[in-house]
Amino acid sequence: MSSPLGLLAYLPFLEPVPGLGRVWMLLLPPLAFGISMIYKAMRVPNLDRYWRSVGVMTVQVVLGMAGLALMLGLLVQVVVPLLPAE
Amino acid sequence: MSEASSNPTRRTLNIGAAVLSWVVPGSGYAMLGDPRRGLLAGAGVLGLFLLGILIGGVDVVDRTEDRLWFFAQAGAGPVAWVADYANSELLKSGRVGELLEVPRGDPRAPVYPKVSSLKGVSHLNEFGTLYCAMAGLMNVVVVLDVLGRREERTA
Repeated sequence: MSSPLGLLAYLPFLEPVPGLGRVWMLLLPPLAFGISMIYKAMRVPNLDRYWRSVGVMTVQVVLGMAGLALMLGLLVQVVVPLLPAE
Repeated sequence: MSEASSNPTRRTLNIGAAVLSWVVPGSGYAMLGDPRRGLLAGAGVLGLFLLGILIGGVDVVDRTEDRLWFFAQAGAGPVAWVADYANSELLKSGRVGELLEVPRGDPRAPVYPKVSSLKGVSHLNEFGTLYCAMAGLMNVVVVLDVLGRREERTA
């Protein structure tokens, strides 16, 4: 469905975006950005610093998720194979 | 002098603003005199919800097949029911796309209802569902914040 002809047949909002499934990890930053937008709209006392704090929180969330993924990857790929089988 | 103003430590619940904030995300802040905050919160909630539907298709909101997810998505307000209605009327009815038989490996297996050819699967469906659910859950937090927030107006 990600061929040029498939893109022509794409129906926005009715079917998934063609070709996006291969780069699904790129969908994390917009999710973190949206959550940060809502959270900071509630928490920031002065809205003049709003977008800056949204940006900081987005980066924190994405880096936190990447760090967790790295730790889990190391655990599964490096630590677990070192454990004795019996 | 009202009872609330005579006791400055007492906080009243903004029930009307909270209900309004569920119906139209962010509007509760505007009702309490902070429209800019409401616009930002509302844009975040509705933006996440619409982005979720754009990513995974309208199939990501399904009141019958994904009931538990729908509980979270319903926090975004009536827009969740509109999306579920669109899913039923357009995709599940076969009005858009076509309805396909679900293959049965075992002839003794139950016959499942036909599914739309536009039904989302894999990561995009998961992410779309997650976006809409996060929009709903965050709007619940917004509603609770509006419920206990002091009014900005100095009347």
